[in-house]
Amino acid sequence: MTSIQPQNNGTGPLIELRGLSKAYQEGERERVVLHSADATISRGEFVVLLGRSGSGKSTLLNLISGIDLPTAGDVVIAGTSITRLSEQQRTLFRRRHIGFIFQFFNLIPTLTVEENLLLPLELNGRVSAAERQAALSLLEQVGLGDRAQSFPDRLSGGEQQRVAIARALAHDPLLLLADEPTGNLDAETGRQVLDLLDRLTRQAGKTLMMVTHSSEVISMADRVYTIQDGRLVERLMEVAP
Amino acid sequence: MSRILWRSSLRHLLRHPWQIGLSILGIALGVAVVISIDLANQSAQRAFELSTETIAGRATHQITGGSAGVPEELYVQLRVEAGVRPIAPIVEGDVAAPAYPGRAFHILGVDPFAEGPFRSYLTGLEADDGGLVLLLTHPNTALLSSETAAQLGLRAGDSIEIRVGTARRSLLLAGLLHPADEISRRALESLIITDIATAQELFDTPGRLSRIDLIIPEGSAGDALLEQVRALLPAGVELERAAARSQAIEQMTRAFSLNLMALSLLALIVGIFLIYNTMTFSVIQRRTLIGTLRALGVTRREIFTLVLSEALIIGLIGTGAGLLLGIMLGRGMVRLVTQTINDLYFVLSLQELTIAPLVLLKGLLLGLGATLVAALVPAFEATSTPPRAVLTRSTIESRLRWLVPRAALGGVLLALAATVMLLVPSKSLWLGFGALWALLFGFALLTPAATVLLMRLLRPVMGRLFGVLGRMSARGVVVALSRTAIAIAALMIAVSVTVGVGIMIGSFRQTVVRWLDSSLQADVYVSPPSLVSSRSDAPLDPALVQRLSTAPGVKSASTYRGIIVNSPYGPTQLIALELDNPRRDAECDAAACHTSAFTFKEGEPQEIWPAFFEAGAAIISEPYAYRHNLHAGSRIRLGTDRGEREFSVAGVFYDYGSDQGVVMISRQTYEQLWDDRAISSLVIYAEEGVDVDALVESLRVLAGPEHDVLIRSNKALREASLEVFDRTFAITAVLRLLATLVAFVGVLSALMALQLERARELGVLRANGLTPRQVWGLVTSQTGLMGLVAGLLSIPVGIVMALVLIYIINKRSFGWTLQMELSPGILLQALLLALLAAILAGIYPAIKMARTSPALALREE
Repeated sequence: MTSIQPQNNGTGPLIELRGLSKAYQEGERERVVLHSADATISRGEFVVLLGRSGSGKSTLLNLISGIDLPTAGDVVIAGTSITRLSEQQRTLFRRRHIGFIFQFFNLIPTLTVEENLLLPLELNGRVSAAERQAALSLLEQVGLGDRAQSFPDRLSGGEQQRVAIARALAHDPLLLLADEPTGNLDAETGRQVLDLLDRLTRQAGKTLMMVTHSSEVISMADRVYTIQDGRLVERLMEVAP
Repeated sequence: MSRILWRSSLRHLLRHPWQIGLSILGIALGVAVVISIDLANQSAQRAFELSTETIAGRATHQITGGSAGVPEELYVQLRVEAGVRPIAPIVEGDVAAPAYPGRAFHILGVDPFAEGPFRSYLTGLEADDGGLVLLLTHPNTALLSSETAAQLGLRAGDSIEIRVGTARRSLLLAGLLHPADEISRRALESLIITDIATAQELFDTPGRLSRIDLIIPEGSAGDALLEQVRALLPAGVELERAAARSQAIEQMTRAFSLNLMALSLLALIVGIFLIYNTMTFSVIQRRTLIGTLRALGVTRREIFTLVLSEALIIGLIGTGAGLLLGIMLGRGMVRLVTQTINDLYFVLSLQELTIAPLVLLKGLLLGLGATLVAALVPAFEATSTPPRAVLTRSTIESRLRWLVPRAALGGVLLALAATVMLLVPSKSLWLGFGALWALLFGFALLTPAATVLLMRLLRPVMGRLFGVLGRMSARGVVVALSRTAIAIAALMIAVSVTVGVGIMIGSFRQTVVRWLDSSLQADVYVSPPSLVSSRSDAPLDPALVQRLSTAPGVKSASTYRGIIVNSPYGPTQLIALELDNPRRDAECDAAACHTSAFTFKEGEPQEIWPAFFEAGAAIISEPYAYRHNLHAGSRIRLGTDRGEREFSVAGVFYDYGSDQGVVMISRQTYEQLWDDRAISSLVIYAEEGVDVDALVESLRVLAGPEHDVLIRSNKALREASLEVFDRTFAITAVLRLLATLVAFVGVLSALMALQLERARELGVLRANGLTPRQVWGLVTSQTGLMGLVAGLLSIPVGIVMALVLIYIINKRSFGWTLQMELSPGILLQALLLALLAAILAGIYPAIKMARTSPALALREE
């Protein structure tokens, strides 16, 4: 099984959204969630996506990751138009180049912390000793080096989300997508998780796209987008005096 | 695929031991039932083949005669004058051994000097200290295999008592045979070897042989030899291939075996529902997990492989356990199958189960195949899970509700297709069973729609009876339709099998009772004890017949003679009917009294009887007519002692005594065409006012102790006949019970899954003040409702199944016309069975849920 390689390896924007639209059929009528969205996101950027519940934020993440297909328009990641790929190719692309962090952590309950971490690597082929070591060092970095053999149900919410962050980074993806990663955590734990996510992604030079309600995140972000009435609008950042 | 994924999958299985355990149990039971029946059938068939191989040996052709066999001179003529070699004479027959109840033996009278080329097991005999010399020089001596002798506690020099027809005889064991290999050992298990003269004396056939065995080479030399032999055969004696006869006999049990096989497959079908149920649940249970895996980049194919592999693991363990269980169950089944074959078809002595590797392989493939078929839909379902973190249960349920009308439409189409299959004018049993299974699957597909409708009707009633909890439990069945519908369908199928088979057996029994009422009109029946209950061809002593028919208190007597004759349709049971002393009284006019025992399906009695008694016409039973496409007015050919003769069929009568059918002619016609003068059974009419039981006693005294003869009153014969009937269906009852057991396991598994899945919902209810008792009530009322729906649906489905069994399957298998009898008792039983099974299966989940702390239930998810 070969994964789809990005076309512009290392050069040009990482994400390009071109006239991206998504509509759902609800009974007789059509509900437009996203209307002709355009955006360009560079490598290493931390992008936050704001919006009310049901505004289409998660839909946009699903479109970018190739989980869902747009009604019109194109998503280009590192030069590869993923909307033109087959379902199988999109899955392989996602497996190789995208890391996911979910609101409800979604660790695999039947795998230990270490196995959860190694899963994306294993899916991409055999795990080398160096990769394994790198993954375990990620676990150290999120402060859970001693919990490698625990099952997820033995961890607190914050700990589970830290494992999820390590899992999302373990296979060295081009892009991290986080869907309200602090939504299910208390304020203090949420802050810790955000700091960790920010530190690790910047350290590794990864692009992070995060859907959130938390205004606290805005200050950490390079760019902020909102979705209002189906339109993707970039909010200009206030430059600190 | 990733090793980690495999590990995750295995851990998932191990974390749900009850769910997997019940699934394994279900598939194991299903496979066990099929295997046990298959093994029993195969063992019976193998035993039959062995016994025919043993008896026929390497003979390629056989010369057989009519009722009296082949004249001994023919053998001498062929061997000495025509120089035909190899050639061997045989005198044979079945006997009972009264000291060893349940064991029958086959006497094989041989000429040891001619045997060499035919039957190898006699060759080692000469080494055995003079046994052969004794066999040839002393009358009433026999040989037995050393193993059988050991089983019976006999040694060379001991005597074995046997019963030939009505007479008891004793044979001296001249020596023991030591079979060289396993095949010879099993072949000799039920064989008693004598010389020709002893066998002729035992069967009272001096100067006659049962048959002459020949080994004729293939090719033109063989053809020339055959021509030469044929030219020497007198009328009524035939030359046939050795295999032809055994094939014809083997055909007899084919429908019986097929029926058992088809019925046993029903248990496996219920098992398929179980696997389907488990795998669907396991997919629904892991919807979030599968969504996450998909988001992480696990492909559809990998998910599909994962689910299918899990099913295969369950299937493999279940099938393995099923094979072991099947072998154990087979030991019991083989007794039931052999009993039925002995009751209905021919003497078959079977001491042990043959574990044929092919049967086990078939079982393995069937078990795994069933598992894969059942897991395919859930596996596809899993791949269609969108790769999203949150996929709500309500999405699945709303998808299912979208499916409900479509499934119902599919069900209707399947039922229509089944109806078309049933209407095809054919005698194919497979087509019949195919239609039956299509009907059952069709009804299973209709179950979700029927459940929704019934719940809509029941909800207000439940509300009025139990308030909000009542409404909730009715609603709960519909809300969790993806779980409940499968459980209801599985239970419905199992209970409808019980209803359908129950109605069929009840109708069959009632038809037989009515037939016995009309056909058993005499007062006393005399017959030799028969090894095959449905047939008696051993003769009664003529002096005994004379003594009994003229005894005081006997008003009149008529006789039957039953023999097997050759015909173009294969071996045919022929009965010669004699009405020498027709009862003459006010109500009875000439032959009318005896002949009214027959009810005709085709032909008018006033035309049939004159043709039968005066013009040599035959009457045939309904199964015989059905099997060979014959009708009143057809002509049949039978091999007589004067060569093959044609008979016109005057009428077709109802008869439930033999599924192979019989041909009847008058005694007068019989004596014109056959040399045999023996009588097989005697029917006696008592004088007016004579106590029948006292008459039976006095006739028994008159028969004396030297004759083993069955003298039974009308009532006793009727009871004995029904006992055979009930014994025949014992195996069916066992199969019904097993199918219900599998269904029970299915319902238990489904309910456990359902209730555990609702743990959170119930936790919320408990947190809001629902008492444990109320939780118990809620769960139990819901399972009760499911049982009620399954029970209600199983009634019409069971009736339809009974109609198919009675009018299609039974007719095509055995050729009998049965009158359908619908007893309300069976229908009520079905309803209670379904309710009870569901409520019983709901007890454990209900207790578990009622005991679970609401905090714990709420935390889970």
